Amino acid sequence: MDRTELTKYLLDRFSDKLQLLDTGKAEPVFILKAENLLEFCRTIKADDTLAIDFLCNIAAVDTGDLFEIVYSVASTKNRIRFDFKITMPYENAEIDSIQEFWAGANWHEREVWELFGINIRNHGNLTRFLLPDDWNQGFPMRKNWDAPDFVRMPEL
Amino acid sequence: MGPHHPSTHGVCRFLLTMDGEVVVKAVPYIGYLHRALEKICENRTYPQCLPILDRFEYCTSMSCEYAFCLATEKLAGIQAPERAEYLRVIMLELNRIASHLIWFGTTSLDLGAITPFLYGFREREDILDLFEMTCGQRLTYNYIRIGGVSRDVPPEFIPKAKEFLDKFPAKIEDYVKLLNENPIWMIRNQNVGILPREMALSYGDSGPVLRASGIKFDIRKDDPYSIYDRFDFNIPTGKVGDCYDRYLLRIEEMRQSSRIVRQALEQLPSGEIKTKVSANFKPPKGEVYSRIENSRGEMGIYIQSPGDSKKPLRVKMRGGSYNHLQVMPEIVKGGKIADLVAVMASMDIIMPEVDR
Repeated sequence: MDRTELTKYLLDRFSDKLQLLDTGKAEPVFILKAENLLEFCRTIKADDTLAIDFLCNIAAVDTGDLFEIVYSVASTKNRIRFDFKITMPYENAEIDSIQEFWAGANWHEREVWELFGINIRNHGNLTRFLLPDDWNQGFPMRKNWDAPDFVRMPEL
Repeated sequence: MGPHHPSTHGVCRFLLTMDGEVVVKAVPYIGYLHRALEKICENRTYPQCLPILDRFEYCTSMSCEYAFCLATEKLAGIQAPERAEYLRVIMLELNRIASHLIWFGTTSLDLGAITPFLYGFREREDILDLFEMTCGQRLTYNYIRIGGVSRDVPPEFIPKAKEFLDKFPAKIEDYVKLLNENPIWMIRNQNVGILPREMALSYGDSGPVLRASGIKFDIRKDDPYSIYDRFDFNIPTGKVGDCYDRYLLRIEEMRQSSRIVRQALEQLPSGEIKTKVSANFKPPKGEVYSRIENSRGEMGIYIQSPGDSKKPLRVKMRGGSYNHLQVMPEIVKGGKIADLVAVMASMDIIMPEVDR
């Protein structure tokens, strides 16, 4: 399935829940609402045309005024790859865990929690692992994070 | 076990609950090599990120550079010249062989065989010599750049590379003779650390580990990038998914990689090696996740560009080892503690890729 067919298929299937982002020639990126996340994951995994069986990556992004969580998924059977993302405000940022579909999401989500401070519901193992156990300097991947020895490069 | 256990391939700690010799529970502790590479990249221009990417997974620095360049090129719509693409493929595949040779050496060392270690590093030396004559570096190359490669190969590179490819198959035969039917090697590896295919997929394992579990999936074939669709090579798969399958598979991958290098050397066109890209270029607003097949599985780089800045808004690096280490507690449960060493070795986990 090529890019256009895939986009059309997904938009037809999830007409009111999915919104396409214009990202040029690369793989399509969709915006999804947080409340539809679990249902969407369940459907794309079970759907035979898509058969999304592989979670490539979860990346959280701090855009300066919003959090985004980008899920990159793929199929090992059907040559399909696309991204979908969820945006959320800074306050009480929270998202459901998708471990029930892809167990490998565990560490990716743990990292999102640790470095960005986004709470993951139903995760089960939200403990520090990349940062030191006694870390008390907040969430370092946030844009407003600051530390005495951290120097920002000026915008030239 | 760890963090400084000699067989943990970097600094990784396992908290083990034991019942005599049997592992009841294993919990990996990581983060000892966390260098905040992603944060550092957010604070640099795109070309300045490349030396940082070298340190992401230093056994195959070429792949890391290439993964980042590919993502940036997709983002900005840059096309590298033909000759540069060929040089990239040659370097990527040579680097894959070098990385598998490290794996071959250290795995055997973990399981008590010292000779293969010396053999593996002897052949790797030839590849490092080729890299050194091309870019002056032996480990962190900074060779592949956005829009091409940093310099052309010297005239003596091609004969040297061909000489290496001529003698390498015989060396692989030596390795195989040494280990394939070695009784100790077989007992330590066969039916040890079996990774079922469903579990491998669910945990996001990729590369040789996924293929050893019987799933024929290789990004070079299934989601082709660069010019990999022009070469003729096979994707080996395993049946059982144990350590022995992963060993056989990597040996076969070295043969296939040398085939690719040979074809690329024969087809190597002349011409430009770099598209001109300004050091201060600003990619248009957008985001991309691009993945390549590294020697340890899927290496993906996610970049988001704000559009009006020379610096990326976010760079996320995804390495194969991250997922391999994650699945380990599942497959070492119920085995002997010595098997944990064998499993960790056969997964080819490298800690800088996990910790970043």
